[in-house]
Amino acid sequence: MGEAPGVAVAAEGWSWQHAERETPAIAALDLQISAGEKVLLAGASGAGKSTLLHGLAGVLHDEDAQAAGQLLLDGVPAEQARGRAGLMQQDPESQVVLSRIGDDVAFAAENLAVPRAEIWDRVDSALEAVGLSGFELEHPSAKLSGGQKQRLALAGILAMRPGLLLLDEPTANLDPAGVRQVRNAVLRAAELTGATVIVVEHRLEIWAEHMDTLVVLETGAGVRRRSPAAQIRTDQALGDELSSMGLWVPGRDPLHGLSIPRGAGADQEDPLKEPQCPDQQGELLLHAGKLAVGRHSPTTRWRRGSIAPPTLTGVEVEIRRGETLGITGANGAGKSTLLLTLAGLLPAHGGTLTATAGLKGDGPGQLLAADPHEWRSADLVARIGMVFQEPEHQFVRGSVAAELALGAEQAKVPGTAEPLYTPAEIDARVQLLLDRLGLRALAQANPFTLSGGEKRRLSVGTVLAAGPELLMLDEPTFGQDAHTFRELISLLREHVDAGGTVLAVTHDAAFLRGLQARELELSRDTPPPEAPAAGELFGGMRADSWLGRRNALAKLIAVFLITAALVMTIDVVSAGVVVLASLAALPLAGIRAAGLFRLMWPFALGAVVAAWGTALAAEESGAVLVDLGFTTISEGSLALGLALGARAFAIVLPSVIIFSTTDPTDLADALAQQLRLPARFVLGALAAMRLLGLLAEHWTTLGHARRARGVGAHGGARQRLRSTLSQAFGLLVQAIRMATRLAVTMESRGFGAGRRTWARAARFHAADLPVILGGALIGAAAVCAAVAAGTWNFVWS
Amino acid sequence: MSSRKTTTRSWSWTVSDIVVASVLAVASGVIFWGWNLSYHLIGNLFVFYPPVETLVHGMWLFPAVLGALVIRKPGAAIYCEMVAAAISALLGSQWGLTVLSSGFMQGLGAELVFLAVLYRRFSLEFAMLAGAASGLTGGITYHWIVPMYAYAPLETIIHISCFALSGAVIAGVLPWLATRGLAASSVLGPLASRRAHREPMLLGGTPRG
Repeated sequence: MGEAPGVAVAAEGWSWQHAERETPAIAALDLQISAGEKVLLAGASGAGKSTLLHGLAGVLHDEDAQAAGQLLLDGVPAEQARGRAGLMQQDPESQVVLSRIGDDVAFAAENLAVPRAEIWDRVDSALEAVGLSGFELEHPSAKLSGGQKQRLALAGILAMRPGLLLLDEPTANLDPAGVRQVRNAVLRAAELTGATVIVVEHRLEIWAEHMDTLVVLETGAGVRRRSPAAQIRTDQALGDELSSMGLWVPGRDPLHGLSIPRGAGADQEDPLKEPQCPDQQGELLLHAGKLAVGRHSPTTRWRRGSIAPPTLTGVEVEIRRGETLGITGANGAGKSTLLLTLAGLLPAHGGTLTATAGLKGDGPGQLLAADPHEWRSADLVARIGMVFQEPEHQFVRGSVAAELALGAEQAKVPGTAEPLYTPAEIDARVQLLLDRLGLRALAQANPFTLSGGEKRRLSVGTVLAAGPELLMLDEPTFGQDAHTFRELISLLREHVDAGGTVLAVTHDAAFLRGLQARELELSRDTPPPEAPAAGELFGGMRADSWLGRRNALAKLIAVFLITAALVMTIDVVSAGVVVLASLAALPLAGIRAAGLFRLMWPFALGAVVAAWGTALAAEESGAVLVDLGFTTISEGSLALGLALGARAFAIVLPSVIIFSTTDPTDLADALAQQLRLPARFVLGALAAMRLLGLLAEHWTTLGHARRARGVGAHGGARQRLRSTLSQAFGLLVQAIRMATRLAVTMESRGFGAGRRTWARAARFHAADLPVILGGALIGAAAVCAAVAAGTWNFVWS
Repeated sequence: MSSRKTTTRSWSWTVSDIVVASVLAVASGVIFWGWNLSYHLIGNLFVFYPPVETLVHGMWLFPAVLGALVIRKPGAAIYCEMVAAAISALLGSQWGLTVLSSGFMQGLGAELVFLAVLYRRFSLEFAMLAGAASGLTGGITYHWIVPMYAYAPLETIIHISCFALSGAVIAGVLPWLATRGLAASSVLGPLASRRAHREPMLLGGTPRG
């Protein structure tokens, strides 16, 4: 891939002010980067680093933004230099576009209209360059780890043969092994291609020694400083400057100067905590014995044939008052699942989980069950506080102050609906937390509009507001800058100093050191990470069957013909013919009787409901069988109802069989290439569909977070409805955030403009003819049988 | 790239519009799925008089209005409702392939309302009108275009009226509130609706930048 030399980058008086912002993100930037130069781009949070990368990637074009000056790649304005720059963002999930890794890498080349034969060569060499050539091209991208997903994204970028690699905190969401993999893959790719590299990163030590130049941006202005990257380690003043911006500088401890745990403040009375007697230190609070945990409910679900196996078994944990415990271990070892179980948010799959009298509290607290999962969320919030990895999952109110107040309001006296705190106490707690979190100026701000560090602090504050003894945190330092890290450690030390207890799942060794935590390492004797729930939602693809290998459009036409025949008439005979024919076709789809039953029984039930509805509501004809006063069931309406129910079942059966054997990617290929639907929309929908499983996971987590905040879907219909609406809103926020990032990814890979090619041709083969003919035959047979039997009942007559 | 301010927006879709609309539709599919799990409880309420079951069917219409309110471009209502319908078809829909025709018709109802005001008004009354229109066209589809019911005339009228009423509330008021909430959360940055939370509640909510 040596033919893509590096791009020379020039910013000439470039400014960008986003719509709705009062100050520019970047103003009057003048910057020259020579071809092949490797630049580490730094600056305080909000200094416009991402804006610059987006500008260079040519994906900034807001109709209402204020822009001035130019960004040039080899002298060409960035937005006209499609394919010259590739952009990798922080969140691995939104860096993947398609569900098979080969397709995902090919995507950018297709958008640049690279000829088909060349696309696959590019795919192979790009996968090779990032060290993913060991996987089949059909390997599901959902089954890759975070680090592998980022390397896949890099491969997708390399397939464009770009001259500029733009990396926006590419390793912030990864574990240490993933960080090294991605960093090394980027360096190797840069070496192979000679591309210019610009990396934005908080943790300078990852990149410092591999880069040529350090460029520091000034917030709301241009370049503040430009130095050789080597000076990061040698120049004391530079190190001080970078530290003051919240960057992680190699060899510097962000906790430097922070008071030692259990320091001077310990004897002060803390109004957020009940006073602790010293002799209670070390009392057992929560004990897990031979605990088995799993993401999915341990009971059978109707859409799944078998009980989901636990992710992790035989866990022994003791949590004692006043201690800090860190759970570590490889990705996919089940750490987060264990934490959710210990927090009473997921049911245990086996073993025991026991909260002691010490955790349950005196008086009415002793009435609580041993297993926190059985507690009401109002009892949970006052005892176990759960801080989620994504702070936004926890937000349910419109302002920072209301968010803090909610935690305190939701805490109730066990067994009663009586609030634990008086309104005056609640207000006092909110005021204290606003100061302690440094969020007083933002008390009325919408929580979603805060910066990353502010959100992290608020997410801890909302939990502290209810005064829980035990604080649980899931990867609290992921993606945070050094300032936030320091503030977080400081908050947690205060909690522990005041007698509280902390349990955290983390990869971050600095975090464990900062809290002097006891470490519990989970061994990885479990299989690799579970795939997201998409497969489960789709009922499992049967792509290997005869029908699975047929052209998607042919299958669609067949179902269309059958459905059209059924829609024309409401009668039992045509429905019966279709049901029998569909059952006969089951072996072609590789579906067994048991599998069919699992897929179909809800629809059979639906058909019965449809029959019942019509029997009650259709026009009376023939003898009245049942008279309910306000309506009747007559012979005629019952017969009509039965015919309608049978028809409903017959309509759904073939479509379930066809769709359970059709991969969405194949369907999209066929719709765009053969049916000529607009490619932008078909591919947009396809890329979104890949997020289905992920969004379903978000939905579940949002549900956990609502329970953890004391506003879960329990109790009366009103509370359930409110909770579901809040969960739905939370999902929409996450969906749009993901979509916006995905749109940037797709556009930076050349999507959305001009002609494109297709890496795989969707076309009919001889074997697809029987599928279409079969559909036509079944439809015709249904019509003829109904006419012959005299039951034909045309609906539009 | 020179400084410029625009007051009338382009009607063509950007990549952000397409991807956000698509993901909204998929998220709607997930909400349907979450809703499905509790629907069977609510559905039982209507066993004695099925024609009023549509009182909760507005739930199936919300992607159309939400898509239109968030994207504010021609075709958003139809596109979001159709993609959401396609997702439910893939997940296994009660109605098989016919969800595509009902999805199209439901989207069309909402679309026509916003087309009538040239995609310039997105205030509460138009959202409710769009939700109601969506229920109306949805009901018409169920009874006459791709008939899935065979009710007597009175029951048909009740069935469709309840659908429209439910559309106005569940698919009108709720998406309007959601759009304002999303704008207030500043996640709509690249979209035409980013100022939705500062617009007047009733007539006069123009999509000015």
